[in-house]
Amino acid sequence: MLQPHLAHLMTEENVLLKSSVDNCPTSSETEGKDENPFNFQPQVIHLPKDHELFEDGDVQRHMYLQNLYISAADEEPALRVSEFACHISGCTATFKTLQEYEHHYNSLHRHVCCTCRRSLPTARLLDIHIQEWHDSLFAVLAQKQDMYQCLVEGCGLKFRTIKDRKDHLIIIHKYPPDFRFDKIRRANRRALPSDTEMEVVTDVCESEGMCEVVCGTTSNQRDPDPSDMNVSEENTGHMETSASTAPDPTELTKPRYSYRVPPNVCFGQGSVRGFRGQRGKRK
Amino acid sequence: MWRLKKVCHKSSRPDNTEQLRLKRREQERALRQARRDKQLFSKRLLLSEDEEHSTEQHVTKIPIYSSLILIIYVSTQCTSGKCGPEKEASLKALSRALRDPSAQTKFIKLENSIHVLVGLLTGSNTECRLLAVRCLHELSHSPHSAVSLACLPASPYLLTYLSGQSTKFTELCLYTLGNLCPDNDAVKDKVLSQGIIPALTNCLETQMHNLALVEAIGFTLSQLLQEIQSKNLHTFLYYSQIISVYSSVKLFINLSTHFHCLLLAALPLIVCWVFFYLSHSIPGDCSVLLSHGALSKCSSLLVSIGGTVAEEKKDEGLELAVWPLLRCVGNLLSSCPVEHLSEQVDTRLLAALCALLNVYLKTQPALAREAAWVLNNLTAHSTDFCSALLTQNLVPDLIQLLPFSLGINTMILRVLANVAHQKKHFCDQLVRLGLLSALCATLKMADTEMVVLSLDVLNMLIDGNLQVAEEFVKQGGLLMIEALQYNHEGELRQRALYLLEHKLSPCVCLCCSFSCVSSLG
Repeated sequence: MLQPHLAHLMTEENVLLKSSVDNCPTSSETEGKDENPFNFQPQVIHLPKDHELFEDGDVQRHMYLQNLYISAADEEPALRVSEFACHISGCTATFKTLQEYEHHYNSLHRHVCCTCRRSLPTARLLDIHIQEWHDSLFAVLAQKQDMYQCLVEGCGLKFRTIKDRKDHLIIIHKYPPDFRFDKIRRANRRALPSDTEMEVVTDVCESEGMCEVVCGTTSNQRDPDPSDMNVSEENTGHMETSASTAPDPTELTKPRYSYRVPPNVCFGQGSVRGFRGQRGKRK
Repeated sequence: MWRLKKVCHKSSRPDNTEQLRLKRREQERALRQARRDKQLFSKRLLLSEDEEHSTEQHVTKIPIYSSLILIIYVSTQCTSGKCGPEKEASLKALSRALRDPSAQTKFIKLENSIHVLVGLLTGSNTECRLLAVRCLHELSHSPHSAVSLACLPASPYLLTYLSGQSTKFTELCLYTLGNLCPDNDAVKDKVLSQGIIPALTNCLETQMHNLALVEAIGFTLSQLLQEIQSKNLHTFLYYSQIISVYSSVKLFINLSTHFHCLLLAALPLIVCWVFFYLSHSIPGDCSVLLSHGALSKCSSLLVSIGGTVAEEKKDEGLELAVWPLLRCVGNLLSSCPVEHLSEQVDTRLLAALCALLNVYLKTQPALAREAAWVLNNLTAHSTDFCSALLTQNLVPDLIQLLPFSLGINTMILRVLANVAHQKKHFCDQLVRLGLLSALCATLKMADTEMVVLSLDVLNMLIDGNLQVAEEFVKQGGLLMIEALQYNHEGELRQRALYLLEHKLSPCVCLCCSFSCVSSLG
């Protein structure tokens, strides 16, 4: 399914550019959007004699003076290699080698649903997820025809209900009944903690609500906003007009900006209803 | 280093290495803390010949009771006017006893004790003189500042003897004076007004051939100069004296570089520290030292050392000489106007610094970091040095150093940024040398400063050059920039956004097709 994926990317890009142009009050990066933030200037650095950069040299000198200096060959080398860190906001994983970093990034941050921030292992599963969970047209069509496709690549069969597909997977393809990438979407997002898919990765990264990867467990417990966001997203997905209800009164006390798109605005069929993540939520 | 060799000899005993190592670590920690408290001083203790060759590591402590007896005996002997071998033996025993700090404090409290020693110091028996100065030397090594104050009456004599001819004696006087200096402002004031600086200068000029003495002079000078600046003691008064010190030191260095290979290895590193402290002891900027040619002298020394090191003829302990030279050059460069830079500094210094970086990277990373700092100062405003860096083909080696932390990679990236900032076509050369793929790795590093610098460099490389932008995207760098848009650091977000909007936007469509292909694959 190349097209929706491409379309998804395209709209993502458009959304990116669009949001940077919008004068969203929360995002500080748009304040200087036309100014060049690069201010590198070559400079000669003068260091006073007591500067901490000179600490090691001074210590070596005094070790010599106090007759404690030995040839460096006897000591273990003190050189350190720079660590790598995942720069996705909210993910605080660090790595010793580039390979570890790449593996982390490719496994957890590549195929991420921008609506609910679930991370999926492959592009195909991501497509299926988006279709089934966030596509309003799909929901409509699914009532009339077989739309739920088998997760096994190459099988090609489609089913009317999720249960049918699950049975098919278990019986024909011998999948386990609790296959992690075939979760049923629950109407009430608070039940998310039972999602083992999220649990798989919580030990890798923590979330602050903006984590692209699923740290839904911790984020839901700490910060009710994302889940509310998602609830409203789901509701728009189901095309319920009640989605436009006002946000929870408790959240009104916090300064927050709504990224919900009103249901009467449509970016095109199958598009994502909403902006990518909660950029403005960061301090 | 003749002295260093002795130390190594002692520490190479197998049964003691682990204990020694632990002791070293403890001492190192103590030194670091002392430096943070701005109390970092060291005193040197010269062991007598028989002690140096003895197999016993520790000296037997004579109980205080018996040392008091000795003191009394000595003083009685003195007053009786008899000078004989017993007196010498007792003086020797006294000097051993004075190694104990509690004995030292007790000694100075005795009436006339110092007076007796000074009397012996100036007496007609030369052997007693030597032993008396040894006693004073032990006293000067005391950790208690009261003891150093008590030794002050001996200072004019010690200074006078500096122009004497007996080398062993002079050496002891020098180290004694050097030990006394840092303790107390009163001591320093006194010795300064007694003319310690001209005395040292004179000693240096006359004893230039004797390496042990030169090292001792260097030690004393550096102890003096180390504190002059921070306590601001009559700096202006001794300004001209300090300059004359510099000239003498320069004389010595001229002599040593003349006999290049031999003496370089034995270059009393302490002299180099003198240089460093000199550059800090003159108030204001270092233009005076610059006019005396300090920068060219230090940089040519570094070039010679770099050459030696590059040929794998590295001597043990050479880094102790390199440190102060690097610091001198680094700070002098900040006072040197760019127009005069090429006259004062040889472009071979660049190669020397890179050689030092590579050789000391693993064994002394702090030294490598300081070498990188000097490189930054050299290339900051000078087109000549930036282009020399490229023509001497030093950039690939620098790029290899980008993975290393402890501040080394940020300095090196700064150097590369200086080069990129100079001229457009330098950027093209840098790209050709593989800087883009290195940046793809540095953008992923944990250190924020490193990522900010990488984005700055990337901005300069891409500026107006679409091919470079495409090349960067082809190497998969776009994903990193997109990820950085959501980073919690504002500096990173702003830069990433700017790059995406203005520099990389034509490549965004390219990226889509690439990532589609890659995700399907």
